[in-house]
Amino acid sequence: MSEQDLLFETADRLFAAVCTFDEVQRAQNSGWSDLSWEASNELGLTRIGVGEDAGGVGGSIADAVALLMAAGYHSVPLPLAESTLLAGWLAKAPGVILPEGPLTVIPNKANDSLRLDGAKLFGTAQRVPWGRKASLVLGLIDGHIIGVTPSQATVSEDVNVAGEARDDLSFDGVTPVLCERAVPEQTKQSLQLVGALSRSALMAGALLRVADITAQYTQERKQFGKAIGSFQAVQLHVVRCAEQAAYVDLGVQVAAREADRGVAAFEIMAAKTLANDAARIASRAAHQAHGAMGMTQEYVLHQYTRRLWAWRSEYGDASWVHHLGEAVVALGADHHFHVIADGSASGISL
Amino acid sequence: MAIRLIATELTEQERDLQAQVRAFCEEHLPRGSFEPGLGMSSGQSRDLSRELGKRGWLGMALPQEYGGSDRSTVDRLVVVEELLRRGAPLEHHWTADRQSGVMINRSGTQEQKQRFLPSIAAGELCFCIGMSEPDSGSDLASVKSRAIPVDGGWLLNGTKIWTSNAHFADWMICLCRTHDADNPHQGLSQLLIDMRSPGITINPIPLLDGTADFAEVVFEDVFVPEDLLLGEPGNGWTQVTSELSFERAGPERWITPVIIVENFLRENADSLSPAAVDFLGHTIARWWGLRQISLAAARMIDEGLAPALQAAIGKDMGTEFEQEVITALQQLIDIEPSLVSRSPFSRLLARAVLVAPSWPIRGGTNEVLKGIIAKGLR
Repeated sequence: MSEQDLLFETADRLFAAVCTFDEVQRAQNSGWSDLSWEASNELGLTRIGVGEDAGGVGGSIADAVALLMAAGYHSVPLPLAESTLLAGWLAKAPGVILPEGPLTVIPNKANDSLRLDGAKLFGTAQRVPWGRKASLVLGLIDGHIIGVTPSQATVSEDVNVAGEARDDLSFDGVTPVLCERAVPEQTKQSLQLVGALSRSALMAGALLRVADITAQYTQERKQFGKAIGSFQAVQLHVVRCAEQAAYVDLGVQVAAREADRGVAAFEIMAAKTLANDAARIASRAAHQAHGAMGMTQEYVLHQYTRRLWAWRSEYGDASWVHHLGEAVVALGADHHFHVIADGSASGISL
Repeated sequence: MAIRLIATELTEQERDLQAQVRAFCEEHLPRGSFEPGLGMSSGQSRDLSRELGKRGWLGMALPQEYGGSDRSTVDRLVVVEELLRRGAPLEHHWTADRQSGVMINRSGTQEQKQRFLPSIAAGELCFCIGMSEPDSGSDLASVKSRAIPVDGGWLLNGTKIWTSNAHFADWMICLCRTHDADNPHQGLSQLLIDMRSPGITINPIPLLDGTADFAEVVFEDVFVPEDLLLGEPGNGWTQVTSELSFERAGPERWITPVIIVENFLRENADSLSPAAVDFLGHTIARWWGLRQISLAAARMIDEGLAPALQAAIGKDMGTEFEQEVITALQQLIDIEPSLVSRSPFSRLLARAVLVAPSWPIRGGTNEVLKGIIAKGLR
C-alpha cells in the first residue's frame, strides 16, 4: 500500500465520522464547521503538503492530493485545498511562515483589480474561499506572496452553487502582514495550475462518491417489484457514473505524480478537463437514476453534485481546452500522438 | 464499490522499447509508403508481421522456450500502440498475437504450445476467432456448433459468422458444444481448427466500406483430431470469457481515429477555426486519459490481477469516444469525404464514417459490457 493510500484511508475514516450528512448541512447554513476543522487539525491533516519550515507537516503534492480526494469523497466543508496544496505551493517562496488556523488563497479571477502599490494592497479579490473565516488570506500579487487578514478587508459574503463560502475581499491601501518576493516558478499561470489540480482532486473524490451513492440507491430502490438497478436503462446511468469516476481518479493520480517531479502543465490541464466533463456527465446520470429523491436537500446526492458544478467553474473550465488545443497545433501533426503517450515529456509547450 | 485504477508509467526499459519501435516505424513504415488503415482493420502484410516477429515484438508475453520473449502486457501495449496509430497493416498476426497465443499458452498442452507458439511469435500464423454464430451474438453461450466424438477426434458441424479474416486465417479457435448439459454455460469446448481442413466453406461478407474483412464459416463434418481440443473439455465458457477480457483493455479501443485527427491537423493547420482548436485540445486530454486506463489495466494483468471491470470500462468509454471524434470531425469541416480522394484525411474519414459503428460492437457490444460492469458494481 502506498503512502497516499494510507493517507487517503486515514482521512477517509476521520471524515466519515465527522463530516456526516447533518454536519455538512449545518455548515452550509452557518458557513463553517468547527467540528470538522478541529478534528482534521488534530490529526495534522490541515497542513499536509506544506513544508515544515513554513509551519506545515511536510509531504508531497501527491500526499495533499490524496487528502483532497478523501475530502471530496466526504464533501468536507473546509478550505482544505487552500490550507494544504495551495498554501504549500505559495510557501515555496523563502520567508513565508504560515500561522495556525484555516488558510485561504486568492484565486486571481480574470477581472480582479488587486495591485501592490508601495507595499500597500489595493483593489478587490473576488470569490475567495471562506475569506471571512481565514486566519490568513494568501495571494500571489505582482510577483509577491502576500498575506492579509480578513479584518484588513471589507468582506462581501457570497457562496458558490454548493453553498460554500466564496467572499469578495476589498482592500484600500492596507499593509499585508506577510509580503515576500515570489520565486520565478511562482507565476499566475502556475497558481492556476495548482488550483486546477486541487479542484480536480476534490472532484475525483466527489465523483467516486456519486458513483457509490448511485450504485447503492439503484440496488435499494424498488419499482415494478424489483430493484431499479436491474433495468438496463438504469444500469447505463450507474455505469456512466463509475466510469467517469475511475477516469478522473486515474488522471488526477498521474497529474499529481508529475507535479511532484516539476513539469505537469499538460497533465493538470488534461485532468481538470476530464473532471469538468465528468461533473456534467456523472451529475446528470446520477440525478436521472435517483429521480425526484435526488433533487432534494434531504437526500445526500446534492452535497456532491452541487460541489462538482461549483468546482468545475473554479480554476479553469473551457479555457484549458483552448489552451491545450493551441499547444497541440503549435507542436504539429507529427507529434500529436506523442502528447497522448508521453504527456508533458512530449515537449508540448503550455 | 467504485472501480479504481492505480496510476502507472513506463519504466526506463519500456521507454527504450518504445524508442526502438518508433525508430522501426520511421524506417519501415514512413508516412506515404503505404495506405494507412483504421486500427485493427488495417489490411495485412506477412512481411511486416515477420519483421515484427524477428524483433521479438509478437507473442511478447509468451515464454522464451516457446519462441516468445517472456516480456509483458505493457511491452505489448507499447509496441501495438505505435503501430496502430500509424494505421500499419497488422491483420495477419493481430488475433494470434493478442489472444490466441495467450490462450494456447494458458490452456494448451505442451504439444500444442510447441506446435503453435513459436510460429505465432514469428508472425507466421494467422488466427481467427470462432465465437459468433447466426443465432448467437451477445448471447454467446447459446452457440449451436457441435462437435461429436468420433474415432481419434471430433466431427464438427455448424456455422460461425462475423469472423474477421477467416478467409486468410491458418487456424481458428472455435467455441462449440461438445457435451450435453442442462446449463448452456456447460458442455462447451474450444477446438483448434485447421482452416484448410476438408468440409470448411468460407463465404466473405462485404463490409459497409466494400472491404471483405468479415466472413461466414460453415463446417460440414469437419474432422478435428483429438489433440486439438484446447484446455479442458466442457470448460469452454470459462476459457472464452477470459479470452474476451484480453480483447478488451487494449489501445485498439481508443486509438483508431488518432490517424484521422493527425491528418486533419496536417492538412488544415493554417485554417483551423476556434472550434477546431478546442476540439484538438479536448480530444488530446481525453485520449491521454483513456491511454492511462489501458496502461493501468495492462500493468494489473502483469501483476497477476484480473482487471475485467477496468478493461470493460476502458473498452466502453474508448469506443464511444472514438465515435464522438468522427462525428465531431464531420461537424468541424465541410467536406464530402471520399474513399478515393487524394487527401489522406478525406479517405480515412470516409472509411471511418462507414465503419465507426462497428467499433462499439466487436469484442462484446457496449450494452453487454455495461451489464457486466453494473453487475460488478453491486
